[in-house]
Amino acid sequence: MISGTRVIDAHGHVGHWEVLGMRDDAGEILRTMDRAGIDVAVVFGIFHPEGRRSNDTAAAFVAAHPDRFAALAYASPLMPDGMVPELRRAIDDLGFLGVKIYPPYTPWPLDHEAWDPIYAFVEERGLPLLSHTDAGDVSRPAQLAAAARRFPGAAFIAGHSGNMEPARSEAIQAARELPNFYLETCSTYRTPGVIEELVAGAGADRVLFGSDQPLMDPRPQLGKIITADLSDEEKRLVLGGNAARLLGL
Amino acid sequence: MSELSFRAPGEVIDANVGVGHRHDRPAPFEDAAGLLEEMDRHGVDAAVVYHVQGESVSALDGNDLLREWVEDQPRLIPQWVAGSDPATHRQLEGLQAEGRLRSVRLHDTASCRAPFTDWIYGDLLAWLEAEGIPLWISLADNDIEQMADTLGRYPELVSVLVGAHYAHAALVRPLMRKLPRSLLELSRHETPGDVEALARDVGVRRLVYGSFYPRYAMGPILYYLHRCDLTAPQLDLICAGNVGRLLGEEGG
Repeated sequence: MISGTRVIDAHGHVGHWEVLGMRDDAGEILRTMDRAGIDVAVVFGIFHPEGRRSNDTAAAFVAAHPDRFAALAYASPLMPDGMVPELRRAIDDLGFLGVKIYPPYTPWPLDHEAWDPIYAFVEERGLPLLSHTDAGDVSRPAQLAAAARRFPGAAFIAGHSGNMEPARSEAIQAARELPNFYLETCSTYRTPGVIEELVAGAGADRVLFGSDQPLMDPRPQLGKIITADLSDEEKRLVLGGNAARLLGL
Repeated sequence: MSELSFRAPGEVIDANVGVGHRHDRPAPFEDAAGLLEEMDRHGVDAAVVYHVQGESVSALDGNDLLREWVEDQPRLIPQWVAGSDPATHRQLEGLQAEGRLRSVRLHDTASCRAPFTDWIYGDLLAWLEAEGIPLWISLADNDIEQMADTLGRYPELVSVLVGAHYAHAALVRPLMRKLPRSLLELSRHETPGDVEALARDVGVRRLVYGSFYPRYAMGPILYYLHRCDLTAPQLDLICAGNVGRLLGEEGG
């Protein structure tokens, strides 16, 4: 909680990637969240294409600390037959709140039909979908926007807001044009004025705070919001209000 | 001020600020006034500034342009850039003779295609070591293996390792062990919990606040440091004391 605002981190990982310093020790993550003032972290795993192992790890986080963690379900078109059944299991049996996809681990751009079963699933269920976005060939915000146009019943969240130009401008443009397109803030590219740019371009009600923890410490990412030249009301929406509304938290 | 805003309460020296237009990236400000306003917004009292033209095009031009930025600006501490050309070494010797050389920054050896080797930079490094002048060197813009090997040949040279990223997580501690007189600048260091861990492992006197502005915003890392589990004296050292000591600032 920061100044009466419930802070929700919309982008967190489970799983180990120790060469990058990433360890999913729930106790250490909670201590850092407490120091930062983060109330709830939304977590997911992306390292196992069948989805089940990552989803079970995320479920264990939520089961151990249901007031501090929520989870998104992961599946990959690398293993298409099990994709939708695994998402169904994660949503119906494990109680996950939405879906996460990670196109850099696949050869298919976000507007390729390989992703359609996932998009159809989130639309059918009215769920939010968080996708990694960047300036790479398969992860462009414009490609995610194309999917958002075809599946208007789901909310599409551009993780990292495209990360850098020109992808960042694509993400902002998509949020401007599409009522079901949102921007999430975590990025190692902490460009001066970036949060102000996202809010000015997309509206404060379309921007969600995320940290990428435990790949990155959440405190500098939180500092991007706190030190931005925004009104307190805009900051409250970004820090937690929008995520609470979108994820039903 | 609510907790939804932040301005550093104590003394802060930003150890890593670029000024001026780069060939591929215009500066946010035309002159020092805008930079000072940005520093005021975050509670930054002083900044170590270099001209970004020196990063990958011309250290000579960048150093000349830097003079306009720091003239009559006591809050802006000039840092001069060293390139591979011997002319830049002569320029630095001239600045030293004027009493204006307190730190040097290595140019971007990766994009300049002048590898950071002893056979290219040895004379410069030997001179800096002999003169007791610290060298700033960017992990974002230089080959780390070359850094370890080449700097390791100058054991008395103090270096400030700039811009370690989470992609360098596995390298930071071995590099600081290899270079026992190095300090780590923290502008891009977002490995979870690692500022507190480094304070324990390598000592707080080897950590320095810098923003890498304008590549990166000035406020987020400063905010982060003030949310770390550090004592007030430790925070003071990271935010100002250590860089002040390196530059010979009073009280540093």
